[in-house]
Amino acid sequence: MTADLGRAALEKGETLVVASLGGGLLELVARLPHLAATATPGSFAQLRCGAGTTPLLRRPFSVAWTQDDTCGFVFEAVGAGTRLLSGLQPGDPVDSLGPLGHGFTVVDRGPVVCVSGGLGCAPFPFLIEALRRHGVDDIVVLNGARTAVRLFPAERFGRPAVPVVAEATEDGTRGHHGRVTDLLATALASRPAALYACGPNSMLDAVMRTLLASGAELPPVLEASLEAPMGCGFGTCLGCALPALEDGGRVWRLCCTDGPVMPMHEVDWAELRALPGPDVA
Amino acid sequence: MSAQRLSSPVVLGRGLTLPNPVGLASGTAGYGFELEQLIGIDRLGALFTKGTTVAPRGGNPPPRVAETGGGMLNSIGLQNPGIDVVARDYAPRWRGWTIPVIVNLAGGSVEEYVHCAHVLEPVPEVAGIELNISCPNIAGGLDFGRDPVAAGRLVAAVRAVTERCVIVKLSPNVTDIAVVARAVEDAGADAISAVNTYIGRKIHRATGRSVLPLGTGGLSGPAIQPLALAAVAAVCEAVRIPVIGVGGITDAASAGDFLTVGASAVQVGTATFVNPETALEVLGGLYP
Repeated sequence: MTADLGRAALEKGETLVVASLGGGLLELVARLPHLAATATPGSFAQLRCGAGTTPLLRRPFSVAWTQDDTCGFVFEAVGAGTRLLSGLQPGDPVDSLGPLGHGFTVVDRGPVVCVSGGLGCAPFPFLIEALRRHGVDDIVVLNGARTAVRLFPAERFGRPAVPVVAEATEDGTRGHHGRVTDLLATALASRPAALYACGPNSMLDAVMRTLLASGAELPPVLEASLEAPMGCGFGTCLGCALPALEDGGRVWRLCCTDGPVMPMHEVDWAELRALPGPDVA
Repeated sequence: MSAQRLSSPVVLGRGLTLPNPVGLASGTAGYGFELEQLIGIDRLGALFTKGTTVAPRGGNPPPRVAETGGGMLNSIGLQNPGIDVVARDYAPRWRGWTIPVIVNLAGGSVEEYVHCAHVLEPVPEVAGIELNISCPNIAGGLDFGRDPVAAGRLVAAVRAVTERCVIVKLSPNVTDIAVVARAVEDAGADAISAVNTYIGRKIHRATGRSVLPLGTGGLSGPAIQPLALAAVAAVCEAVRIPVIGVGGITDAASAGDFLTVGASAVQVGTATFVNPETALEVLGGLYP
């Protein structure tokens, strides 16, 4: 099936600011009118990092939020591409291709649970805004990170009304001492109409295992935003394969056009678990 | 006032004439259906499809791509829906396109290539065939590309079952590419595409393991342009049939180098991933 790229366009925008959110988390705010007008929650943009040939490939970033003609992106300077982005100054050009990808199913009734791990916070402000426009106010965010300074600030998940945010840190420096998945049982007791998850693939795997082990009825909408090393972002290079289950067998789906958001029961978690971790340089 | 340089059609033989010399390289444009939505694909000279095999192939396990200095490694493993789906479901969607669609064929045996060519023979939307004898990412993918005798035998066998223009895409992973080029010309190839990707490897430095699960992959991108240029120059000196230069083109200047050494046309590959409009920009830059 060919991806619908009808909204995607190349766009030369402008940096407004790169701000630190603490703990290494950064927020790029850019004037990108086309992306701001056409992106949907869970979709992403392929951003060029520098104008040279190294790094060569664009980098995919979830659209964290939109406001008028601007978009926000949350990232961390971990590799050559994101280090270049972290150095953008106000007025510097931002080269975007987007919006791309299959986003979240925005439900119109709650309760809703959002599970965020580390940089997995990125798509949630946009999603939560859309949920509110659909009349959903009963939203709980489970937000986990290694340590307190790396928690996406709770007030940034929704403005002006901040959703309920339950926090977990692996080192116990804030909120629950442990993993974000420890918070799932309480959240599931509300029998959510939708559960959305975003974070490292290993965290998403843990979310799914916890859900299955809980014995609770799975939310009717159960979606995760996944990640994979990506070449083009628009379905031609076939580089960003993710294992999925289809008719009882394993197939490769593309993170860029079949995803990045996929129904969690369609992901082949056992296969995904066996894959090597990301190569970041 | 400078005279406008008009892009001239490129005659490849057997009735195939490209409207202009700038095409999209196999493996970087799918079957055209994604790029059709992003760029004015019909202004380009040719679309070389994803490598297509007799049976559908699911492709290699991930990670399938790894970035390197000025380039990228890929190990896609010829993921494709199989020749029957391409002939039955995809080709009708090319009806009405003015861009010639040239189907890239891959296989593990002469019989597989011959079967694919045979299936495409009655399909009017197929403008030509590009024989991929140079895929580094499947077992045996390079067997024909490294052996001039085997390459010649393959080309002759496909030649016997098709009236279509047969283009052969050569591997640069050989000692002397000119020998293979002459062998496929002698066997009846109408044109040559050169080159496919270079075998490369990247190490995951935290673990000491190769990033790509099969160890190696195919290197493409601007890093290979001078290597590809040397190979294409050697091929152009060795044969009389038209040569299509491909490898690391990012702009009109790097494309023009291939025309300078004797290529009749070019293909833009990996640069399309970075900027889908690259091929159109190359065309506009070469023929302003």
